[in-house]
Amino acid sequence: MAKIEIDGKQVEIENGRTVIEAAHLAGIYIPHFCYHKKLSIAANCRMCLVQVEKAPKPLPACATPVTDGMKVFTASEQAVKAQKGVMEFLLINHPLDCPVCDKGGECELQDLAVGYGSSASRYQEEKRMVVPKEVGPLISTKEMSRCINCTRCVRFGQEIGGIMELGQAFRGEHAEIMSFVSNSVDSELSGNMIDLCPVGALTSKPFRFTARAWELSHRRSVSPHDSLGSNLTVQVKNNRVMRVLPAENEEINECWLSDKDRFSYEGLNSGERLTKPMIKQNGAWQEVEWQAALEYAAKGLRQIADGAGAEHIGALATPHSTLEELYLLQKLVRSVGSDNVDFRLRQSDFSADGKQAGAPWLGMPIAEINTRDRILLVGSFLRKDHPLLAHRARDAVKKGAQASIVHSADDDLLMNVANKAIVAPDAMANVLAQILKALAAEKQAVVEASVQSAEVGSAAAAIAKSLASGERVAVLLGNFAQQHPQAAQLQVLGQQIAALCGGKFGFLGEAANSVGGHLAKALPRANGMNAAAMLAAPRKAYILLNVEAELDTHNPQQALVAMKAADLVVALSAYKHQATDYADVLLPIAPFSETSGTFVNTEGRVQSFKGAIKPLGEARPGWKVLRVLGNLLNETGFEYDTSEAVRDEALSGVDVAAQLNNAVQGVALETAGAGSGSLQRVSDVPIYSADAIVRRAASLQNTRDAEAPCALMHGAELSRLGVHAGEQVKVSQGEGSAILVAAADDRLPQGVVRVAAGHAATAGLGAMFGAVTVEPITGGRA
Amino acid sequence: MEKITNFFKTFLLFELVKGMALTGRYFFARKITVQFPEEKTPQGFRFRGLHAQRRYASGEERCIGCKLCEAVCPALAINIETEEREDGTRRTTRYDIDLMKCIFCGFCEESCPVDAIVETRILEYHGEKRGDLYYTKPMLLAVGDKYEEQIAKDRAADAKYR
Repeated sequence: MAKIEIDGKQVEIENGRTVIEAAHLAGIYIPHFCYHKKLSIAANCRMCLVQVEKAPKPLPACATPVTDGMKVFTASEQAVKAQKGVMEFLLINHPLDCPVCDKGGECELQDLAVGYGSSASRYQEEKRMVVPKEVGPLISTKEMSRCINCTRCVRFGQEIGGIMELGQAFRGEHAEIMSFVSNSVDSELSGNMIDLCPVGALTSKPFRFTARAWELSHRRSVSPHDSLGSNLTVQVKNNRVMRVLPAENEEINECWLSDKDRFSYEGLNSGERLTKPMIKQNGAWQEVEWQAALEYAAKGLRQIADGAGAEHIGALATPHSTLEELYLLQKLVRSVGSDNVDFRLRQSDFSADGKQAGAPWLGMPIAEINTRDRILLVGSFLRKDHPLLAHRARDAVKKGAQASIVHSADDDLLMNVANKAIVAPDAMANVLAQILKALAAEKQAVVEASVQSAEVGSAAAAIAKSLASGERVAVLLGNFAQQHPQAAQLQVLGQQIAALCGGKFGFLGEAANSVGGHLAKALPRANGMNAAAMLAAPRKAYILLNVEAELDTHNPQQALVAMKAADLVVALSAYKHQATDYADVLLPIAPFSETSGTFVNTEGRVQSFKGAIKPLGEARPGWKVLRVLGNLLNETGFEYDTSEAVRDEALSGVDVAAQLNNAVQGVALETAGAGSGSLQRVSDVPIYSADAIVRRAASLQNTRDAEAPCALMHGAELSRLGVHAGEQVKVSQGEGSAILVAAADDRLPQGVVRVAAGHAATAGLGAMFGAVTVEPITGGRA
Repeated sequence: MEKITNFFKTFLLFELVKGMALTGRYFFARKITVQFPEEKTPQGFRFRGLHAQRRYASGEERCIGCKLCEAVCPALAINIETEEREDGTRRTTRYDIDLMKCIFCGFCEESCPVDAIVETRILEYHGEKRGDLYYTKPMLLAVGDKYEEQIAKDRAADAKYR
């Protein structure tokens, strides 16, 4: 610890920290631009110059380590003169176009120029001009002339994003920030560079020129997308969401936000929003009043419950729905007498149902990922599915952790992955069994006979060796593993691997409320049907909550058949979507920005939020719609006045921390085969196709991550089929097929075709896993 | 002594005579009443009347949609919406002034970095029904186009004091 004195105030701080940190600790503000608490120190803006006793010249506070007995003056004559001088230099090339600058009103340079600049410039010569460059649909660099070369964006890319997409080229006055060789900035965290920019050089393209900082109201909210539950500041003007910024929460999203959370607000203002209840009469859609629509739905449900039987009613919800909505949905369905309710739409293996000790969760607090020294990822497109968890894993690796991955695709995770086992989906369980066997050998433990039969390959042995040497191990099952047809097997194997190394085992939750769905009991009990069963054996009536059957389900082909065969489909949705083909009633409900609700993130944190704006048109919060539907069905227990009352009832008597439990008992390990060898499908849900809101976010849909899905195959696989990359192929699965462009990806294992799910172009195909055939289309060069 | 003076002043109606003398002076003096609308009072170049939006000589509108006038307006009479125009510049899609709310303080004019919104010398305007005095962007630009010569002259006269 060092004791130092800043402006007469005594501060005690650990050795090795810097003067600026000590000053912030003491509540003293030192002006700065390039310094950022989460980034490395560059000390190139020189704005934080302070006077230090016995130092002949002013020193930069951000790069000066504290020493015991140091005396710092931040506002002495020498310091102020230095700061004023630096400000004058910074303003030499900075254009004075604050009135048209999007940063105007929230600009660090503008604020500090008021405090430290002089009223007029002495600089008469020509200013520097930077030719604007195009870097993609999210970030605008049109006003690069405003750049003060603080390099925060460059350091963000290197240190947080994992990839240096912006860099500083040329020297001296010609130095400028640009992407390498006119590439676009494609990182899924790129929006943070806009926040970091202390001036208006990097601005948000979707937000550009639409509002000024001072006219926006700030409302707190929680992200409805990935399972992190990032805290948001939703900025609102005239009952419209104008932009979304991060709300700092060190334990969840720190001060970052993924692009999905940041730019998805465009989907909230999409023209596809459903604003009036509609019912289908004689094949034509009619806009009706709420009362008529709700009565129609209630009457239809009552008829089916009384006629065919309540078990012919099925309810499906996406895990992006709020806790209140999920709770009321299951309560509604159960009070009618059915037990068919599920939110795990993309899951295919339900053999662990009823054997699960609690709600599957991360197995540790989110912030603990950074402190792990061994991480085993099983079936996860980590970077795209959980961008900020990927950043935490990256941070752990940077601190010396070894990451290993067992997966069916080898996408660049932008971190050093020590060991990889990239195999076809049906061989994944086998690889885990190999790892378990090798690990047991290392730890001299006994494993089941079904595991003993696995033959340990070199990749598995390396992973086992790495895990065995770790002290703080985490075994994490990603979305791919949860959607896998052998998900329960993977879970048991993963759990045993983690137990052998004394580590933590967890699930990277699929969506914002994956844990909340379990807490709300929105899944079938003993005699109910799960999501897959409900679609495999078509029901007479479906209630869909936020569900787009062809995009949100594991097997869209089957889902569409079931929907079309049903007598009554009641769709609660914020959007007018494909449901117009099969639904009978469309009830407009409010997305997260327009309703109060609760999400439980993957670490089990219960986060409630209020609506930021009023619902659009006649849309209403989902919990209110379900409540009234309950009333109209003459069921008791639906007399809620607030969403808080629903939440309190859903969570009353529930000890959330005790409910979080990944243990599974009674799932027998099977002898895992090494793979069938036939061509199988590997499917990811692309980052900007994962839920209804992002699918309608126009700018995100223009990014590289949202490009139309291809049929990706190993080069050898392509030549075996006699197809060249770039040619069109027909991919068939079950009864459906899709015409896609073939592309080579030699990082994929042989024997698989990677075809994205959750996209309109591939909605005609069947399940996310399983056998597919690929045939060339003659003369089909795209 | 004072009592005696007061007694005579009251008795001889001195105050009345004094008052009538003032009336008489103005009765014969030159009249300053202006016969509006045939005649008009003189106006300074800083007169704050009806608002106008100006254009550059090229015909390009001056307003850049910085919204400073909207922010500074104490009566919340200004309403602006902006967008990025095709050529990449910041422009307003909506620029409304509710003259019923406006208190003619001139802050909008004062805050404008490009002299786009100005208050002209026009004070004779009226509305016949509700909403007539809600001026939209085309109306403001039309005022500016019509009186540009006078506006430019007034700005030039004021320039040396700013």
